Amino acid sequence: MKFLTAVVRNRLLFCSITLCAGALFLGGALASPKLRAAYHKIRNSSDLTAGKSLFLANCAMCHGMEAGGGRGPALVGREFLHGSSDDELLAVIREGIPGSSMPAFAGTDEEERNIVVYIRSLSSPIVGGNAHPTGDAERGKRVYSGLGCAGCHLIDDAGSVFGPNLTRVGAGRSYEFLKQSLLNPSADITPGGDGVTVTTVDGRRVTGIRINEDSFTLQLRDQSQKFITFDKSEIRQVTHEKKSLMPTYSSLPPRDLEDLLAYLSTLRGVVKGGTGTAIRQLR
Amino acid sequence: MNRLLLAAAILAAFRPLPAQVTYKRIVNALEEPQNWLTYWGDYSGMRHRDFDQINAANVKTLRPEWMYQTGVSGAFETAPVVVDGIMYFTAASGNVFAVDGRTGRELWRHKYSENPSANRGLAILGKLLYMVTPEGSLLALDLRTGDVAWESRMVPSKSAYIATLAPLVVKDKVVVGISGGEEKGTRGFMDAYDAATGRRVWRFWTIPEPGQPGGDTWHGDSWKLGGGAAWLTGTFDPKLNLLYWGIGNPSPALSGETRAGDNLYTAALVALDADTGLLKWDYQFVPHDLHDWDACQSPMLLDVKWKGHDRKVVVQANRNGFFYMLDRQTGEFLSATPFARQTWAKGFDAKGRPIRLPNSDPTPQGTRVCPGLAGATNWMAPSYNPRTRLFYFAVRERCDIYYSSPGKFIPGQRYFGGAVAGTPGEEEYGLLKAIDPLTGETKWDFRYQHAPWAGTLSSGGLIFAGDEDGYLMAFDAASGKILWRFNTGNRLISSPITYMIGKRQFVAMPSGSAMITFALP
Repeated sequence: MKFLTAVVRNRLLFCSITLCAGALFLGGALASPKLRAAYHKIRNSSDLTAGKSLFLANCAMCHGMEAGGGRGPALVGREFLHGSSDDELLAVIREGIPGSSMPAFAGTDEEERNIVVYIRSLSSPIVGGNAHPTGDAERGKRVYSGLGCAGCHLIDDAGSVFGPNLTRVGAGRSYEFLKQSLLNPSADITPGGDGVTVTTVDGRRVTGIRINEDSFTLQLRDQSQKFITFDKSEIRQVTHEKKSLMPTYSSLPPRDLEDLLAYLSTLRGVVKGGTGTAIRQLR
Repeated sequence: MNRLLLAAAILAAFRPLPAQVTYKRIVNALEEPQNWLTYWGDYSGMRHRDFDQINAANVKTLRPEWMYQTGVSGAFETAPVVVDGIMYFTAASGNVFAVDGRTGRELWRHKYSENPSANRGLAILGKLLYMVTPEGSLLALDLRTGDVAWESRMVPSKSAYIATLAPLVVKDKVVVGISGGEEKGTRGFMDAYDAATGRRVWRFWTIPEPGQPGGDTWHGDSWKLGGGAAWLTGTFDPKLNLLYWGIGNPSPALSGETRAGDNLYTAALVALDADTGLLKWDYQFVPHDLHDWDACQSPMLLDVKWKGHDRKVVVQANRNGFFYMLDRQTGEFLSATPFARQTWAKGFDAKGRPIRLPNSDPTPQGTRVCPGLAGATNWMAPSYNPRTRLFYFAVRERCDIYYSSPGKFIPGQRYFGGAVAGTPGEEEYGLLKAIDPLTGETKWDFRYQHAPWAGTLSSGGLIFAGDEDGYLMAFDAASGKILWRFNTGNRLISSPITYMIGKRQFVAMPSGSAMITFALP
């Protein structure tokens, strides 16, 4: 039922724009000049090809090669939290989403519109919706607390900044991605969340998140949230952890897992920082 | 007595201007190493000075002497011109400055554009300075005030062209090239203007028309949108009277369906007669380029012993990952050796035409190719030390995934033919390299954490170099040992210069929006 509901919702949501044009075309009718124009636009192969290339080069690393979602939300078969109209979607592409990891895209009007055309072309009335959490979010909040997640993560003002901020994680991450993050955290490590272990020449080992690095120094944040700077002359080795520093929760009882996922999916608050953080780009 | 003093004062006031920069002075620029008279420092582009004040023994005490804050945001890619104690330089948005070279105190400043595009510097001749504006004007400025003496339009107003380079004065002409061509479907060119009047003397179109030599290397009308910008200053051999200029890549950059053929003279080095602008020879590094690998890097002029004979050569570390040596009288291909990871060429035929590797073109699905779009090196200046006989330059080690899509041409819009993305899991990095130009062999290198955009300077047995993390550094030119570093607080995207005032040597480096100058205590 949820699947059907999602489809119906999407059809209604997009009916005023290109999707509706596609649906009407399938039905053999193009009701208005506006819809005909929209249809021709979406079918213009050069727009689509250009949009696809731009999407693959700029968007796919987060939204997935098929736009099915990854560390960024799916762009097919679901209601967009940001960008329910073409103009809104254009604005999101142009300006990014402050407080999230969605950056602004610095392209021309034509390139931005081609990306929109491509994204719209992906959505079809027959594409299925995403899976949704079925658990008890209230209980999930207690699971979160009981597991000590706040020892590494921040929600609003509570918790640690060692790991990714979860204040808005429900808006930016799909159910499947969150589930994967709990069961196999190393499958997709958030950029800027590089775990490193620094071994100093005197034998000290410090593990943390690499905040910045240049040819002569390295800055990391350890689990106590403290910044530490090393001169490379005092470092014997920097080991880039292939695995996420987050432990796996694959042995979590299924009910706890579903409830925790339900809780995380409700997190759609406002991150107070601006769009630029030290972690976003290693420089 | 008072009248005598007054007369003396008036006489002093009307004394001739300080010795003006003549063409002869520029030809012999290395005989007055205290000055920095052109973008590259002299016509050869060696960027070497035989100073010994700042040297390997004392460079550890080098410290900031003064800092001039321009207050201008935007890319600060200028290389200053320094003449008789005064430093002249530009910044983004058509800004131009004159400051006292010893103290950094401002003498005058002007702003000649609202366009935030970068500018790379000035040329000087007589009592005039020359700069381009983003809108495509060439301005002649009064050395004493920065006021405009004349303005010549290189392109019509509101065109898709822009201009960013530092002009090059040759004899009584000012030589410039246009930018923007490879991204917006324009047709590149180089111009020469009368230095006194601003009248255009010649134009060399970098893309030939049908019927002209090379015109058959473009399919149909594709030459009209062919790109071939000439966006970085070239070099000049006064004895051969030849200009050497790297030409930009074809347009659209990542998609070649509409422009079948070699696409001359894109991604090529051209040698032009300086008086007429006529082509003497050309060498194309990448026929039918599909990776944005323009040839707008320094074409440095060296006199070397090649296979037992004296040879006048031009060398270039090209964006495509190969270091080239050509005979600069004839354009004959002498050698090409890779200096960075490259996955596109398996070698060269006898005439120097590259033999392509398969699966190295952009595709709609994406193809990983090395070097990446920004190239294995770029506009950052290389340098050459005649004592070590080594060529020093910054290398960018990065590969990209190239996506092609033909797109369609819309006047004024970006016309790129695709897009690129970084390769997941591969961190870019950089190198400062010292190579033997005769063999291409690496003598030493120093690894940078990030791929750099700043160049090098050779002086006092040292190599000064900048990196992407803001460090200006000094290395022993022979061994590569790092001897000094200073973090300037912003990524470096230009190249250091050096000059002397009185008995003090200075090293200057643009960083962020500040010109920072260093000297010994």
